[in-house]
Amino acid sequence: MADEKKGCMTCGGGMCGGKGIITLKEGAWSNNPLAIQMLGICSALAVTSSLANSLVMGVALIFVCVGSNLFVSLLRAHTPPRIRMIAEVAIIATFVIIFDQILKAYFWEMSKQLGPYVALIITNCIVMGRAEAFALQNPPMLSIVDGFANGIGYAVVLAVIGIIRELFGTGSIMGLWEADWYVGNLIMVSAPGAFIVMGFVVALFNKLKGPDPEENK
Amino acid sequence: MKNSNAYTIMYAAILGVVCALLLTATAESTKERIEANKEAEKLKNVLVALKVPTQENASSEQLIEVFNNNVQMEVKGEGLEFYYYKPEGSSEPVAVAVAFEGKGLQARIKGFLALEPDMKTIRGITFYEQAETPGLGGRITEEWFVKQFEKKTIVDADGNPGMEIKPGGAKAGINSVDAITAATMTSDKVEYMLNVVIKKIVEVK
Amino acid sequence: MDEPTTAIVIFFAAIFTNNMLLASFLGMCSFVACSVLISTALGLGTAVTLVLACTTAINYGIYHLILKADAVWLATDLGFLKFIVFIAVIAAFVQFVEMFVERFSPKLYFALGIFLPLITVNCAILGASLLLVINEYNLPQSVGFGFGAGIGWTLAIVLMAGLRQKMRYSDIPEPFKGVPIALMVTGVLAMAFIGFAGMVSI
Repeated sequence: MADEKKGCMTCGGGMCGGKGIITLKEGAWSNNPLAIQMLGICSALAVTSSLANSLVMGVALIFVCVGSNLFVSLLRAHTPPRIRMIAEVAIIATFVIIFDQILKAYFWEMSKQLGPYVALIITNCIVMGRAEAFALQNPPMLSIVDGFANGIGYAVVLAVIGIIRELFGTGSIMGLWEADWYVGNLIMVSAPGAFIVMGFVVALFNKLKGPDPEENK
Repeated sequence: MKNSNAYTIMYAAILGVVCALLLTATAESTKERIEANKEAEKLKNVLVALKVPTQENASSEQLIEVFNNNVQMEVKGEGLEFYYYKPEGSSEPVAVAVAFEGKGLQARIKGFLALEPDMKTIRGITFYEQAETPGLGGRITEEWFVKQFEKKTIVDADGNPGMEIKPGGAKAGINSVDAITAATMTSDKVEYMLNVVIKKIVEVK
Repeated sequence: MDEPTTAIVIFFAAIFTNNMLLASFLGMCSFVACSVLISTALGLGTAVTLVLACTTAINYGIYHLILKADAVWLATDLGFLKFIVFIAVIAAFVQFVEMFVERFSPKLYFALGIFLPLITVNCAILGASLLLVINEYNLPQSVGFGFGAGIGWTLAIVLMAGLRQKMRYSDIPEPFKGVPIALMVTGVLAMAFIGFAGMVSI
């Protein structure tokens, strides 16, 4: 099981390091899981072709992250170390399935659009990473705050990418505003646009954050 | 004590049971709605193709009710499903819809073709599952494309079954519609799948 | 209505037109982290392909024998459990392969071993199992899809690693170094793969 942790670290590039008091600001901005730590980019690329999808996915991640952080933290004193990982996966998967069922029951169209990506929150390194790096060592209330902060950080970046892609791709925002004169730039709503916009957003975060010796290896 | 096998197994069992209970409870409480949604998914498109009036933002349950009151399904030939639209009170069908599907460019395309009672004139058409290139082939769901099928026939002027989707087709004949510019392959594939179903309709009618 | 898509068509579609990584964005985390060297990329790609081909088959079997609403063994609809069952199968399979390879081929273990634990958290594996349920594939189609998806993923990551090896000598603006430029190059790769559209269709 220790190997899995190594795997997660390699994948996340040192996400398991953040100890100490993690505030809302840190999770959402300076240590943003998506733009700084590059965790969970699969879904960030896949669902951001429209703002509505991005927002729902953001809510899904906040829900799962808060829920799993709370329970992992509550159970942290009782969990046998040997099955720690599998217990975390079970808790995360439970929350993901609950969210998926609710989405299917009340927002059918949305759940069809998100396809498998809601389920893929299970393998989203953000949730697993927070459970492993934070909730295992910290009391429940703090863990909830941490889960919420990271969820918000993810959701905000998702929303930004969603707005850019929908605006340039179709010339509208969630049907609230629409430019009739705009000829949609289709590359934005299809796969290549996702990669390119994501690249710019990460570069912007890098720029705002300033140089970091650990990055760019 | 936390490292003993017995404790580990106990912990795993309790966690497993709690998770399973939670999931079963959620699944049970949402089951009806999910199933209604799944059913309404298909029915909604039959209703749209047949132009059965429905409320805007109708819930899945309401759509199923409208469907059951107005539409009758009959299987003819080799599993070809005919959906007859009989408005409440009338005995004669005012329209009939047939499901079709086929390979698209990216993934399968599914839809319904609705005909007037003469079984020749098209009343409407819907594509409800498609993953064609957005903005190119994906435009098959747009109103201008779907609308041009209306009042066209599934037979040509000489009575031979078949339709054409080709550039400039909207004016060309009673059985042809305009293709989508820059989406020739999608247009061809839609034409093919329509002709397959039209042939079957003509055979079993 | 017309004849179902054959496994071989799905195999090629999964490599080119519906590439797991470039069209569905699955397996991005390890793609970004492990696409620096061609040799690493190739090793990870091989491991992913092996696990993908096998787990799609196993998960197909479990889904159709037990979980599905009209399953062969249990007629209760346990479809909502599929996420948790699939991930458990994948984790167990990866562990098993790891032990097996370690025992019987230490050489292969050194080549592939370090990549195997990475795979459990690779969303391409879970994604493939979920997609085969959504697309309602049968057994040969599922295996064709899993195998093709693995090869497609390997192709994408090896191409990317080749490009990144070259890019080390490029003068890239500071904020774009590392991940951002990699993402943008992936975007261009994805554009190139759009060119395959229509080659095969499923």
